[in-house]
Amino acid sequence: MFAIVEESLDVGALIQAAQRPDCGAIATFVGTTRIDESEGAAVEYLEYEAYRPMADRKLEEIGAEIEGRWDVRRVSIVHRLGRVDPGEASVVIVVAAARRGPAFEASRYAIERIKEVVPIWKREVWSDGYVWVGSQVGTRDQVSGNR
Amino acid sequence: MIKVLLFGAAADRAGTRETELPVEDVSTLAEVWPLLAERHPDLAPMRDTLAFAVNGEYARGNDGVSPGDEIAVLPPVSGG
Repeated sequence: MFAIVEESLDVGALIQAAQRPDCGAIATFVGTTRIDESEGAAVEYLEYEAYRPMADRKLEEIGAEIEGRWDVRRVSIVHRLGRVDPGEASVVIVVAAARRGPAFEASRYAIERIKEVVPIWKREVWSDGYVWVGSQVGTRDQVSGNR
Repeated sequence: MIKVLLFGAAADRAGTRETELPVEDVSTLAEVWPLLAERHPDLAPMRDTLAFAVNGEYARGNDGVSPGDEIAVLPPVSGG
């Protein structure tokens, strides 16, 4: 199951949906908003946007890549858009496999590929401005180009 | 005309999320960039960091574009 959603993610429900009698392992990766601090300022929340439907299609392609490389029985990737507050989940990856090795490896692969190819962007909103992660474009003094 | 969608830092720099370019004389993606940079000069410094999609799939400079296509300007992705 591959989805991009605007609402908060139900990690428990996604794991439950992956439980199968032919699987002995479910590996779960949850990406959450972390409060970074620097120069007396702190991250207040993250905000995500996506190019859809390309982003949806890229998630499905990652799922197909995984099924081609590992013996896994179910792959779910759900990414959230919009504002994600500290501690809340922005992405949940659940991989069910007969054995733990493929489940661990495939879930790691999924998050690394998301960060390479899926057209989703995050903006860190700090107490003193914002930054587009990866581009270093924004309104904080620390952003290159604003100095 | 072609529709150009901008995302993330590129939309921020350009001050818009969508624009249209007259590209009757343009046949490749590479030929679109000068038109876009002329209209949105603040995008120019980002050129080397940007990727592009044509009709929803990653594309390179020598890939063709035609009237009616949708081009997306994609800064380095940062999902997860």
